[in-house]
Amino acid sequence: MLHYILFIATIGGIYGLLALSLNLIWGSAGMVNLGLAGFFAVGAYASALATTSGGAPILAGWALALIAGGAAGLVVTLSTTRLREDYLAIVTLGFAEFVRLVAANEIWLTRGIDGISGIPGPWKAALGQDFNAVYFLIVIAVVGAVFALMRRIDRSPYGRVLRAIREDAQVAQVAGKPVLHFKAQAFALSAAIAGLAGALYGNFTSYIAPDLFLPLITVYIFLAVAAGGTGSPIGALVGAYLLMTLLESARFVVAVIPAVTAVQRAALKELLIAVTLIVVLRLMPSGLLPERIPPAPRPQTGGTT
Amino acid sequence: MTKLHIGRRTAIASGVAALATPSIVRAQTDPIKIATLTPLTGGGGSYGPVMAKVAASVVEEVNKAGGVLGRRVVLVSEDDQTSPEPGVRAARKLIDVDKVVAICGTWASSVTTAVAPLCWESKTFLCTVSGADSITLLPHQGYLVRTQPNSTLQVTRVGEFMLSLGDKKVFTMIPQTPFTQSTIDILNKVLPAGNATHGSLIYDDKKTSFRTEVDQALRATPDVILANGYTPDTVVLLKDLYRAGFKGKILGFAYSINQKLVDQIGQPEVVEGVYTFAPSPAEGSGAYDRVKAAVGSSNPDPYTCQVYDHVNMVLMSIAVAKTATGEAIKDNIRKVTQGGGKSVDNAVDGIKEIAAGGKVDYSGASGPCDFDAKGDILDCKFRYEQIKAGKFTLVKLA
Repeated sequence: MLHYILFIATIGGIYGLLALSLNLIWGSAGMVNLGLAGFFAVGAYASALATTSGGAPILAGWALALIAGGAAGLVVTLSTTRLREDYLAIVTLGFAEFVRLVAANEIWLTRGIDGISGIPGPWKAALGQDFNAVYFLIVIAVVGAVFALMRRIDRSPYGRVLRAIREDAQVAQVAGKPVLHFKAQAFALSAAIAGLAGALYGNFTSYIAPDLFLPLITVYIFLAVAAGGTGSPIGALVGAYLLMTLLESARFVVAVIPAVTAVQRAALKELLIAVTLIVVLRLMPSGLLPERIPPAPRPQTGGTT
Repeated sequence: MTKLHIGRRTAIASGVAALATPSIVRAQTDPIKIATLTPLTGGGGSYGPVMAKVAASVVEEVNKAGGVLGRRVVLVSEDDQTSPEPGVRAARKLIDVDKVVAICGTWASSVTTAVAPLCWESKTFLCTVSGADSITLLPHQGYLVRTQPNSTLQVTRVGEFMLSLGDKKVFTMIPQTPFTQSTIDILNKVLPAGNATHGSLIYDDKKTSFRTEVDQALRATPDVILANGYTPDTVVLLKDLYRAGFKGKILGFAYSINQKLVDQIGQPEVVEGVYTFAPSPAEGSGAYDRVKAAVGSSNPDPYTCQVYDHVNMVLMSIAVAKTATGEAIKDNIRKVTQGGGKSVDNAVDGIKEIAAGGKVDYSGASGPCDFDAKGDILDCKFRYEQIKAGKFTLVKLA
């Protein structure tokens, strides 16, 4: 049981990283990124290839995933500078599909739809059964660091500029903020985090394949962020764990329902997950932990001429 | 009917009592747990439910006859959603929470490849119906067998069949799958050896129209097109071929060209004359008849027959080993499937024979179930059918 909980908590942490990534770009800066699964895949493949074919140490693989994710993010923003909202969403969705198709067809590089198996995990052989516990701690440490960074950004003038761009990019531009510059930075950072999440996933489960990076993952993360509270890093993290808890606990809930067949149980499980998410969003439209915008610091009064 | 009511205190007390019982005593009375991990939803959703059902019927029969090693058998069925990520989570739950000793029936090759490392690392035995060649090449240390003939064997037979139909120009349309490249490579060898030419294209199975692909295929003026996708994309492909006026033969695998596809297309003229090909179950055998009765169908699919065999083999291996662990199954599965002994076709008879000190050789609903060292099946029959007036009619069984 413990191993299972650790496993789910680790996957939950990786979903949490994706949710933090999406929250930065969608929640704070207001750019709809439907290509999250694509950046996740870029990072996963970068680290998997570096640590298997390349023989690089795992830390180098993770660093490479950060760089590859960030670079992909930069390419996507700089090639879509004139697109907003729905149009940006469509292009990013296209990007994710593009990554998946490249992964499926460029067999010389990615081993195609067979996927890459035997991706090493840190000290996996030496740790044996304790691997899940150690990896969980690593993921939690990474999530903690990224969360601290996101909170710092959220409360800083930088975060205020991102929110200003979200509310009205033109006004921000008029106020003298280099909008494109901020957007590109935020998108690249967000994509880098998604890439790191992909690397953590691959080195944990030891296997990746194009089928893992279907748009379903992006949908899951949008649900997590929406349920947790768009625009708040803690909300995103809570949302991700809530989603994972829901996905897994639904298994045990439907298992106690008597006199249903396995297929009815599977359908009930999906239904239960959907209904719970609808209820959460119906009762709390802005999520469990909605965004709270701290008041801007007031200019010092008195003491001046 | 009396209502069984277990209060909180009773539950806690019995839980404590169970924990206080020495573990050896518990081991003898605890049920043996095995699992099915089949696609109950998603792309394989038309196969998985029946597979889970037939597995449950085997477990029920064995329990009625007194279980294995005097212990009851419990079957846990999970859904892999035909996708590796949920598949891995479901497998983790089966291994760590339910502590099953064997997982049976993984269907999609990507799911099997993702789940296999969890199984060999936790010493859980895995029986699969996935066909990709790469699966038995994984470093599985013996913790994996598959009852589906690998794609090399299947594709070679398909090529030989097309040659036997007298076709000189063959064109393959196939989505990107774990067996795509090997399929094309094998046909490129088999067909020219029989003086036929072979062209091929790889398509994206998530597309909603294949008109450009069909145009490209027809430019080669093929005598026969091998439509080698899954059901959803093959529905679209066959319609587009019909619209484009293709008059040649069409051949496909029975896992995609099945009754469901015929129903979905809804126009009998589109599928008229299409040939299908599948590894054949051992029709006429006692095991096959039992599968028919268990699932209530006169024509159970090969996967259902294979899962029936998985559960039987696993339970007999436990009986031979006298311990219920994945390692014991790994070490003993070939002792019940091959190498002589009393020929049996179900676990109930097999377990009786084993308990009496005999040796058994299992032949099941899917075939003789003999494995090589890698875990691949050694021998299998194939079934060739053709759709005539909306009905699948047998061409040959070989």
